[in-house]
Amino acid sequence: MDQASLTALLQTLAQGLLTGGLYALIGTGLSLIFGVMRVINFAHGDFLAIGMFITLALFRSFNLDPYLSLLVAAPAGFALGFVIQRFVLARLGDRLGEGSMLATLGIGLIVSNTLLLTFGAQPQNINVPYATNTFQLGGVQISIPLLIAGLGTVTAIVGLNLLLYRTELGRAIRATAQNPLGAELQGVKTTQIQAIVFGLGVAFAAIAGVLLMPLLYAFPTVGENYTTKAFIVTVLGGLGNLPGAVVGGLVLGVIESLGAFYVSNNYRDAYGLVAFLLVLLLRPEGLFGRTVKRV
Amino acid sequence: MHKAALLALTLAVTGAAQAQGTIKIGAITSVTGRFAEFGKMQLAGFKVGVAEVNRKGGILGRKIELIIEDNASDVNKGLSAAERLVNAGVPLVINEYSSSLVKAQAQYLARQKVPALVITSSGDDITKPGSDYVYRLNQPATEYARVLLNIFRDNKFKSFAVIAGTGAFEKSVADAAKEIAGEYGLTVLEDQRYDRGLTDFRPVLNRIKARNPDGILMVSYAEDSVALIRQAREVGLRPRLFAGGAAGFALPEFVKDAGSAAENVVTATAWIPQLRYAGTQKLNVELKKALGGQEPSYHAAQAYAGVLVAAEAIRRAGGTDREKVRAALGSLTMQTAFGPIQFKDYEGFRNQNPLAMVAQQVQGGAFVPVYPKSVVPRAIKFER
Repeated sequence: MDQASLTALLQTLAQGLLTGGLYALIGTGLSLIFGVMRVINFAHGDFLAIGMFITLALFRSFNLDPYLSLLVAAPAGFALGFVIQRFVLARLGDRLGEGSMLATLGIGLIVSNTLLLTFGAQPQNINVPYATNTFQLGGVQISIPLLIAGLGTVTAIVGLNLLLYRTELGRAIRATAQNPLGAELQGVKTTQIQAIVFGLGVAFAAIAGVLLMPLLYAFPTVGENYTTKAFIVTVLGGLGNLPGAVVGGLVLGVIESLGAFYVSNNYRDAYGLVAFLLVLLLRPEGLFGRTVKRV
Repeated sequence: MHKAALLALTLAVTGAAQAQGTIKIGAITSVTGRFAEFGKMQLAGFKVGVAEVNRKGGILGRKIELIIEDNASDVNKGLSAAERLVNAGVPLVINEYSSSLVKAQAQYLARQKVPALVITSSGDDITKPGSDYVYRLNQPATEYARVLLNIFRDNKFKSFAVIAGTGAFEKSVADAAKEIAGEYGLTVLEDQRYDRGLTDFRPVLNRIKARNPDGILMVSYAEDSVALIRQAREVGLRPRLFAGGAAGFALPEFVKDAGSAAENVVTATAWIPQLRYAGTQKLNVELKKALGGQEPSYHAAQAYAGVLVAAEAIRRAGGTDREKVRAALGSLTMQTAFGPIQFKDYEGFRNQNPLAMVAQQVQGGAFVPVYPKSVVPRAIKFER
């Protein structure tokens, strides 16, 4: 392998890891929600689109730096998730299983169509001066926005872990995840906790949307693709397993990038799906998951 | 029997109403959807064209009017738009942007024996082999590729890489480029195609970077063109020249959204105001006014020319009979501000207007003409 190909390979690996980090962030939100309330959120990608459009709108109206939009998008995502859990999902009662699938699918449709009515269908992007800035690392060029996205992902995931393992709220969330009835008997307000968890999950999707905006263009159905990615990521890592979602995200990012680099760009989405099928065949519980115990 | 009588009566009534009213011409474009940006340009061109024809007294003593249908940037919706126009009894349909959409519509219109006047979409296979009912006034995809490869050849490039979408238009330009490369003795180092929806081009750009080509030919629509050039800069790709096969690269939005990344990118384009046809400057001013001050793209000029050609064909046909209009299209020659129009059969093309393309380059944040000589070109700036 000559120098140019080696550099290109290293560069592809680095970019794959950073893209994978974003997948991890999206997957973490989905996995968190599943882990605590056994709901697969089919609107996850649409919540990401909300994050993108909030960033776009703030940039267009106030010329606000996209990264500052985090201060708006994350709380807005949290509030939205909280309300959805409280007023939609919590009311499904015993029908939560299939009911939540239909409900989240429906919510996703409402979200993407609202975006369509508000912003129109044409793809839009924002042009920040640093959009194409890079820095060199031994001949490898790394995009600054991609790196910021990577750092943002690490911060968000570390923050989530601190919350889960260092705080009283985190203890309550973990208790609710392990055994909702037991937690309720111990005085944990599980309905409140579930709403907080759904809010956190949606906030994670919205954060990912903000971090993506300087890199990508936004359009109302941009989320579809990311719902699939989040799903693959969570299954790769094991449903409900947070460290698994992180590794799953990185694995997916690297597999896609290497596949596109070595084989063909055309089948980019297929590489992830092949990995997904292989994991389902060989380790149905995911790379790091344990089989979900049935009570 | 009763129904037939009723139908005959309705037809008689609408026929009578039409005789007093305007002549209605069908037109399809993307009012909504992902091609809406191009649709906006075309609507402006239609408006200017109709105004001009009517200002000069219309045709056959009557004003003209366009029935504009929205294809919503979707193949199926485009087909139903064409169906509505056929049912509305229009003498011909002006056909719009995106080869994937137009190809389906043109086939449908040909089956219905309604003349289709293609103004923008340039996939070769629309007029090659073509049909008796399909006429195209704009340049076919081969010409998009040729003008760029002429620049590569004239500047002694040895190799280039292709990155193109898998849509009908992108495929057409990319395939034509490979064929012309053979003629010109240029090596195609990489030929990468991507499906719409792909937003991360970095791996493939890395791969191209490792091959170090002299030129890069990119063919893609609006949003992809911005993503492509941004990511190409980001991965540090440095060919001597980035060349875009029109579409997204020729839009004013490309320069705006890609910012400094767009600098030095050369693109093929079908029309610019610097062309030496009568009335180009005036047309540019009128189009700009119709767009509320925005710079028009070539799509607007094509739509304008489409209206003029349609009106002329109806005038020569002496009425709105579809067969007569078709025959009139086949025999007309006219000069428009978009360029000379005459439909010919050549090199496998049928009813195709033979017209060359122009190349322009982003210099100092604006497009300037660089090729051919007839547009008073500025010197091309190379990246290395």
